[in-house]
Amino acid sequence: MAKNKEYVAGRKHKTGVFDIVNYLVFIIIGLIILIPIWKVVSDSFNSVGVYKFQLWPKKPTLDGYKAIISTSKLYRPFVNSVVTTILGTLLGLVMSTLGGYVLSQYDMPGRNGMAYFLLFTMIFSGGMIPEYLVMKQLHLVNNMWILVIKHGMNVYNLVLMRNFFEGIPGSLFEAAKIDGCSPMGIFFRIVLPLSKAALASIGLMFAVTVWNDYSTVQIYITNRDQVNFQYILRVLVMDGDTPVTQYSVSQNTLFYSAIVCAILPFMALYPFLQKYFVKGVNIGAVKE
Amino acid sequence: MFLPVFIYVLIIYYWPMLGVRYSFYDYTLKKIEFVGLKHFQKMFSDAEFWKAFTNTLVLSVTKLLITTFTSVIVSVFINEMVNLFAKKVLQTVIYLPHFMSWTVTAAIFTLFLSTSSTGFVNETLKSWGVIKESIDFMHELHLWRPVYYLVNIWKETGWGTVIFLATLAGINPELYEAADIDGATRLQKIWFVTVPELANTIIIVLILNLAKVLNLFESVFVMYNNRVFAVSDVVSTFIYRKTFMTAIPNYGYTTAVGLFKSLVGCFLVLICNWASKKVRGRGII
Repeated sequence: MAKNKEYVAGRKHKTGVFDIVNYLVFIIIGLIILIPIWKVVSDSFNSVGVYKFQLWPKKPTLDGYKAIISTSKLYRPFVNSVVTTILGTLLGLVMSTLGGYVLSQYDMPGRNGMAYFLLFTMIFSGGMIPEYLVMKQLHLVNNMWILVIKHGMNVYNLVLMRNFFEGIPGSLFEAAKIDGCSPMGIFFRIVLPLSKAALASIGLMFAVTVWNDYSTVQIYITNRDQVNFQYILRVLVMDGDTPVTQYSVSQNTLFYSAIVCAILPFMALYPFLQKYFVKGVNIGAVKE
Repeated sequence: MFLPVFIYVLIIYYWPMLGVRYSFYDYTLKKIEFVGLKHFQKMFSDAEFWKAFTNTLVLSVTKLLITTFTSVIVSVFINEMVNLFAKKVLQTVIYLPHFMSWTVTAAIFTLFLSTSSTGFVNETLKSWGVIKESIDFMHELHLWRPVYYLVNIWKETGWGTVIFLATLAGINPELYEAADIDGATRLQKIWFVTVPELANTIIIVLILNLAKVLNLFESVFVMYNNRVFAVSDVVSTFIYRKTFMTAIPNYGYTTAVGLFKSLVGCFLVLICNWASKKVRGRGII
């Protein structure tokens, strides 16, 4: 989305009734989205149980967060989440750049075969139960590394990466070849440095997927030492399985603090990285 | 260089495909025994399965149509915003819920909609005098689906606008200038220039997502409960329950259900691929 090309439909008009109504509607839409999130944040500091339309904590307290930091049942899954997200993202990036680069080499023998080999997995899959049985044989059941392994490969992201590589001008590769650069050299010295933006956006997609994953844990993991934070949040809020903490914090304050912890990492990064989040979609979808 | 990817894909994707043979076996903890098409006969005469199957289609397709519709409306009007800073801020806000997990979303709305004295929505409505008695949004058969759709609208409308806004940014400004010369009003320009330009993108988005309608799992799983199974149970949650929440699971039966789902999904992908080639000249895969 090149900014200079962007046409602003209303630019030629004076501010009229239309614009005022438009802004008002969008202020309301913005509030509908923000109020639930704000209410969660506000109630996570709220020590008094007032749950009406009140958007500021009465008697603010940090006990909810202190309880999470000090209870191993709660902070351990958080650490698991951080570790699996980092490793899953790295593995995902390695796999999709390797695969994407190979698929972008049109003159390579066997390229079509490899492409079909990957694309077939987007059409047909074994399904939940055969996957479970395979993972069981690989000793990945009840093991948090399942989160890394399961998300370390994503054909869709691999294709996005290939699309990006295809956009790199071929003359750069020619020049490097003439200078005696090997295919691996081209990959590391030319392709990767040029792909920082794509790596950032695809890396973010992997990170969000792994961090937010709940169903994999629900299916594969029953051991409480191995679960991630999404799972523990679910157990906490839905099953009311509240661990004993040394703080006399109300159940709801603890719930809302846990929700904030679950969204905090991405909410903190999001305003700064928004363009990379959005770019990922456009690499794939708008390429005509 | 392809070797690591090859081995990885082979193990993660192709090995489980061999497992679909268990659809023709009785597979319990005690025995594995060939039973032919028994599981498929059982499945096709299982009312609970058909309920799940129709629920999947109804929930998925309705959700897709509603969120696409709201996304189109929102992006058309975002496109009309003159102030670029306001536009940027608004986009940042409406994309936000997409990055929250379904677990978080479900936790927030379950807490907000709860009937206890801590439920934000019921307490607010009561204090404003709108309702007298708390409404049990999550457990009423006729309310669960509307709540599910509304939560989906809240979460995904904003992100859905990304692709439409990209299309709108590419509209040839001359079209608007020509409309100006013809004396078109703002609304006329939206209706006669902007919306037709979006038509192709709308069709593509619908096609792309239609291929995935059977994949509904996490969003339903985190929001449903045993009192609303009749309107919320989908194929994947059915498979999950019959396998992991049954005392003596028969992996054979649930594998058969999974195989059926995969085959219908495969069929859908191929149809959508064909449709996509017709519409925009290239497939989705």
